[in-house]
Amino acid sequence: MISATQKKGILLDTTRCIGCGACSLACKERNRLPRTSQDVLSDTLSDKTFSVVNRKGPRYVRRMCMHCDVPSCASACPVGAFQKTAAGPVVYDRDKCMGCRYCMLACPFNVPKYEWGKTLPRVRKCDMCADRVAQGLATACASVCPTGATKFGTREELLAEARARIAADPKKYYNYIYGAQEVGGTSVLVISDVRPEELGFRTDLVHEPPAMLTWRVLSKIPNVVAVGSVLLGGIYWVTRRSEEVARAEKSGREGPEDGSGGGGSH
Amino acid sequence: MNRSLTLPRLTFWRAALLLLLAAGLYSTFVRFFHGLGAATNLSDRFPWGLWVGFDILCGVALAAGGFTISAIVYIFHLERFRPIVRPAILTAFLGYMLVIFALMFDLGLPYRVWHPLVMWNPHSVMFEVGWCVTLYSTVLALEFSPIVFERFKMEKVLKVLHIFMLPLVVLGVLLSTLHQSSLGSFYLIIPSKLYPLWYTPWLPVFFFLTALTLGCAMTIVESFLSARAFKKEIEMPLLTDIGKVTLVLLCVNFVAKTQDLWSRKVLPLAFERTYEGRLFLAEMLIGLVAPAVLLAIPAVRKSRRGLFASAILVVLGIVMNRLNVSITGMERSSGVSYAPSLTEVSVTLMIVGIGFALFTLAAKYLPVFEHATKEAEPEPAWPEPAWQEPKRARRPLVSVLGIAGGLAALLFVSAMGLTAQGVRSKPLPATPEATAVQAQKTMALASFRMPSDVAFPQSPDSPAPVVFSHAAHVDSGAPDCISCHRDGFSFVRTASARTAAAPGALHKLCGQCHDGTSAFSVEADCEKCHAEAAAK
Repeated sequence: MISATQKKGILLDTTRCIGCGACSLACKERNRLPRTSQDVLSDTLSDKTFSVVNRKGPRYVRRMCMHCDVPSCASACPVGAFQKTAAGPVVYDRDKCMGCRYCMLACPFNVPKYEWGKTLPRVRKCDMCADRVAQGLATACASVCPTGATKFGTREELLAEARARIAADPKKYYNYIYGAQEVGGTSVLVISDVRPEELGFRTDLVHEPPAMLTWRVLSKIPNVVAVGSVLLGGIYWVTRRSEEVARAEKSGREGPEDGSGGGGSH
Repeated sequence: MNRSLTLPRLTFWRAALLLLLAAGLYSTFVRFFHGLGAATNLSDRFPWGLWVGFDILCGVALAAGGFTISAIVYIFHLERFRPIVRPAILTAFLGYMLVIFALMFDLGLPYRVWHPLVMWNPHSVMFEVGWCVTLYSTVLALEFSPIVFERFKMEKVLKVLHIFMLPLVVLGVLLSTLHQSSLGSFYLIIPSKLYPLWYTPWLPVFFFLTALTLGCAMTIVESFLSARAFKKEIEMPLLTDIGKVTLVLLCVNFVAKTQDLWSRKVLPLAFERTYEGRLFLAEMLIGLVAPAVLLAIPAVRKSRRGLFASAILVVLGIVMNRLNVSITGMERSSGVSYAPSLTEVSVTLMIVGIGFALFTLAAKYLPVFEHATKEAEPEPAWPEPAWQEPKRARRPLVSVLGIAGGLAALLFVSAMGLTAQGVRSKPLPATPEATAVQAQKTMALASFRMPSDVAFPQSPDSPAPVVFSHAAHVDSGAPDCISCHRDGFSFVRTASARTAAAPGALHKLCGQCHDGTSAFSVEADCEKCHAEAAAK
């Protein structure tokens, strides 16, 4: 078992990225995905592209699965096809998936993509090279990055490194680590010289796992069932009593209408 | 008594139904043989559309009459409502069957619909809904079964069922409470995506309240429709009472909703001149305020037309609410506008049509309306002349109104989509300022690390090994990686593979630039690569 402090992660530093696109191409190779555009920088995430580098004004920003600590997709999936592994990656089991696409709706980063063109479609997304990580290797994208803009390591280390980089050059960096708090923390962390909004990241995300929002309601089900059945039983008993009393008072004169109903009462 | 072999008469509305079926079947073919992408306007940005918004969310809510009325009669012992229990349960049963049928279209892999029953994830709202709907459909089938058993006079089975009716009803009410509210809980997990007019922690409570309201309204609507279709008396005092209950529920809804908007400080959003604001107001005015005002007037409540109109408004309002939550409220954050494709629309219409056809058939052949069937002949042939009205053939009226209602709802959806197209603008990449690009690049280059040298495998007739030096080829001030690594790094692998297989292959690759004009030729200066590399 890997302890929480050994959970792996990826640190993205936009100040180091030169937009070479090696990460995206390495990702395509590792996942055996076809080329989807001539220019790597104009790619978008899709069922055939799990990682992209896009130009955002003067800088380059990577998009990939953020690998949340408490992933919404894993919480939403009715069959448990998504799992947050102990090592950090959020992985998908295609054999369980029934294609409801609730994961896509639930993901705060719009990461899971669907094979809309297939008759037996799957959900596709970055799995943080779970097999490589399990072997102790870095992810494909991190291993080819020429500038260290994508760095692989344990999340703890990377958080410390991000803080150190910001502290070492506070004039250069905007003092914020995206992913440290968002949706309860993500394994992918982003630092930059500008605010995360300018990179296209949403900053209005809750700082607790969104999965808690549904779980707080779902965990009330036993209460609803217990209280509800007693309450309904009670109402049944009380109303039947009052009906019997009314009938007893009227005794002798019987109500002629009796609908020969198919349901049960007295 | 004797079945005739002649075909049922083809009325205009039957023809319409057949047309819907034909269109629906074609769409079914497209859906299953060409996939969801070809059949729908769904996309990665908009994964849930009309089939979830209408067929599932509205479908389940429209079937809420089953548990509402059976609770009123069996648990609250309001015996006078007994005559409307059966039609309500029939509607609910058919409703759930159709929801499950519709789910087969929407699921990417419909043959795995049973997976949640085996592969558990208790943290998933969808898992809970899956279980509740499965169990509740079973409960409904059992609640509905006495109608079938009665028809075939199976007294013993009826007696056994009779004993279990109370626990069944209690279970049905509990299951309904759970999943009617959970359909709202679906959206709790996306506070950042659903527009604040609809996103609230109270979503499950609102979904449950509106389902109760809709349960009452649907009972009124369906009593009117079947009364007209089957020439029965309308139990007006009964329905007026249900109208009163509806009014109370509408008021509760209105107060709860307004209070929620107020306390979340988003009430002003409703009056903004936005796409969402307008549709929210429409939902509130058409579905809550208008019917509440109408039902509050005793004369309206007691008149057939008034009561029917109010109930229709409630139905329309709640359909709008479900579509607003699932479609309108989701568009802004998704960055795209969604309007259902013709295929999606025709599948939905087909399902609505099937629903009404099945209701008509069941109501005709099974003892659903107790007074009407007391003296019913055992086996009426299908085109039964006694039912024919001389002037107007009213029989398929149910389907007609159903189709009209469905069309209205779909028009609403399409209108929403069209409105959206005008309002929404797709995010475009901002035009980059060249100077800023340069500044950022220079900054980024500070951390550029030159890739190491690459040694190519030596072929047998090569004079010396070749080592490619990045340092010699790449300007560290402007390392245009992509100009060589167009295909990523497979370039290196295929090059080295080629060297081993076909000697001189690298000459061709390197020769693209090393042709004697751009750079020294690969054919002229052998030692520049083969020897120099060794020396380096």
